[in-house]
Amino acid sequence: MAIASSSAGSFATPARGQSVNARILRLAWRSPEMKVATALFAALCLLTLFGPFIIDASATKISVADKFLPPVFMEGGRLPHFLGTDQLGRDLLLRSLIGLRNAFLIGIISVVLMFVLGCAIGIFSGYRGGWTDVVLMRITDIQMSIPVIILAITILGMSRPNPVTIIAVLVLSGWPIYARVARSVTLAERQKEYVRAARIIGASDLRIMLRHIAPSILPPIAFVAVLDVARMMIFEAIFGFIGIGIQPPTPTFGTIISGGTQYLLNAWWITIVPGCLLALALGSLNLMGGVLERSRNLILQGAA
Amino acid sequence: MRASASPVLVFLSPDKIKMAFALEFFLRRISQGVLIVLAVAFVIFTLLRIAPGDPTRIILGPMATPSAMEETAQRLGLRDPIPVQFLRYLGDIAKGDFGNSFIRGKQGGTTGGSQDAGSAAPVERAAVIELIARALPYTLLLAACGFLLACLVSIPLGILAGVRNRGWPQKTALYLSSFFVSLPNVWVGIVLIYLLSARTGWLPAIGYQHIGYVIIPAIVVAVELAPVMIRSISVAVAGNVQEPFYEIGQVRGLSARAMLFRHVLRNAAVPLLNSFGAQMIGMLLGGLFVVEYIFSFPGIGLLTINAVFQRDFPVIQTVAIFASTVLVFINIAVDFASTTIDRRLKF
Repeated sequence: MAIASSSAGSFATPARGQSVNARILRLAWRSPEMKVATALFAALCLLTLFGPFIIDASATKISVADKFLPPVFMEGGRLPHFLGTDQLGRDLLLRSLIGLRNAFLIGIISVVLMFVLGCAIGIFSGYRGGWTDVVLMRITDIQMSIPVIILAITILGMSRPNPVTIIAVLVLSGWPIYARVARSVTLAERQKEYVRAARIIGASDLRIMLRHIAPSILPPIAFVAVLDVARMMIFEAIFGFIGIGIQPPTPTFGTIISGGTQYLLNAWWITIVPGCLLALALGSLNLMGGVLERSRNLILQGAA
Repeated sequence: MRASASPVLVFLSPDKIKMAFALEFFLRRISQGVLIVLAVAFVIFTLLRIAPGDPTRIILGPMATPSAMEETAQRLGLRDPIPVQFLRYLGDIAKGDFGNSFIRGKQGGTTGGSQDAGSAAPVERAAVIELIARALPYTLLLAACGFLLACLVSIPLGILAGVRNRGWPQKTALYLSSFFVSLPNVWVGIVLIYLLSARTGWLPAIGYQHIGYVIIPAIVVAVELAPVMIRSISVAVAGNVQEPFYEIGQVRGLSARAMLFRHVLRNAAVPLLNSFGAQMIGMLLGGLFVVEYIFSFPGIGLLTINAVFQRDFPVIQTVAIFASTVLVFINIAVDFASTTIDRRLKF
């Protein structure tokens, strides 16, 4: 099966491996988009970390007197409910920030796990070759032929969803693409001088894979994994919306948005405002990933 | 093509050899594909049965006695070992029978829950294949409209950004696709319902009564597809514009436009087809499911999501089998099409 991926192909020459990765980062950092995106991402991280301590409100306590308060910049809004309150009088900014923290955690943890798992399998498969390779690649074929959404609603809709099962589902559906990319790069890398040299001086297979191949091929793949963090965060929001994400009362974007849909006409901010925050977070990640990817392609093509 | 053709082929004319290779390609890939679909079916089949949640509880309702539940479970064959159930299921499929829904009645409404055990005979339930046949046209309509809308935006922008790799088209493409890809589809759906339907009353939004109901959902699908399309089109076009043939063609007097439409786009089609096959179909499918759920659009996605909540195993299994079949066969078709567009590629 031909899986197109711009990440496939031969990567950096290992002798200059460190410097190539550093050059990619330096080139990316030179663009203003990268600085804006990084600053935005850092600001949002700080907000999710410290916001809950600063805002004097509760994300889960129901307060009927305060329900449907609009954001402060509108008529009728009042502090401390900076972005207003939802149908149960809970502070929206606080709920969104906690939702954002949960989304970040699930996105980052799942991408790190699928990256490690997928690349480990891919390097092993490509390095070993032969039957191991055939079997492992057939497994990726099977896994990639199950649409993510069907796998997710089957597993999460049937069981009691919690952060662990959600991450498990995301990792399960995400690892094959990393395995494929890592394998195709390893196939090219295996032929190179330095791997043969390492083998001649008696390095074990495990050592060659971990200490020689992995460090030279993984960073370029990791740069693009940033984009997947955003994708996984969207999945988390979708799961929450369908009702198969993290369960209430823990706030997540999906449940905040779906909870507010009934009150759309009278209290649009319940769904619209948290979504803006999520979109900002996703935008910062996607912009970082996009710039990193472009810089990587430019450097690897030797254009810059 | 393979470096060493099999000895028989040496005696055939080139056209026949090409056909033989095509035949070999299809036979090999289709047999692999059938195995993959079987494996997917087994995975989903097993997952459904080892997951908590008893379908008999939903078929019979909360008041059912344990003995009635046990009887129904046995009648549906849910107490047999999973491999036995799976083989029986495959046997039925081979006869063209994808089973009946556990829950849905013939008229399309959801029964179950309220009636007594006696009337829950499976013969009254709708055949899964009919449920799917009823829902599929809606899904196809939504998919087609969403895809067309996405093409309208992304093909011009993608080509423009690819040809001028620096400067404003490239920036616009980067910003626009970073922007679109950052909009969670559930949220876009709700925002559009608010702006175009609830607030202004311009367009209908929930359910399906006439063709107008497809517009807002199609926009949401398009917003999800466009960034991926813009990116893959611009990358594919840019790759070809950098190659020497582009400049050589211009030196030989071909206009930039002729080079673009006759040569660059043809070469760019191969990587595009590849990414459309694997990535886009999976994305489109996921997007359709979610969008149908948001808008209560009566397609396959809504059918499946409801089926999961109702533990309606036959429906989920059949949709999973169909979906993976579509994925597998589109990949085969894409690989075949790539080889006919670009002869350098192997079968």
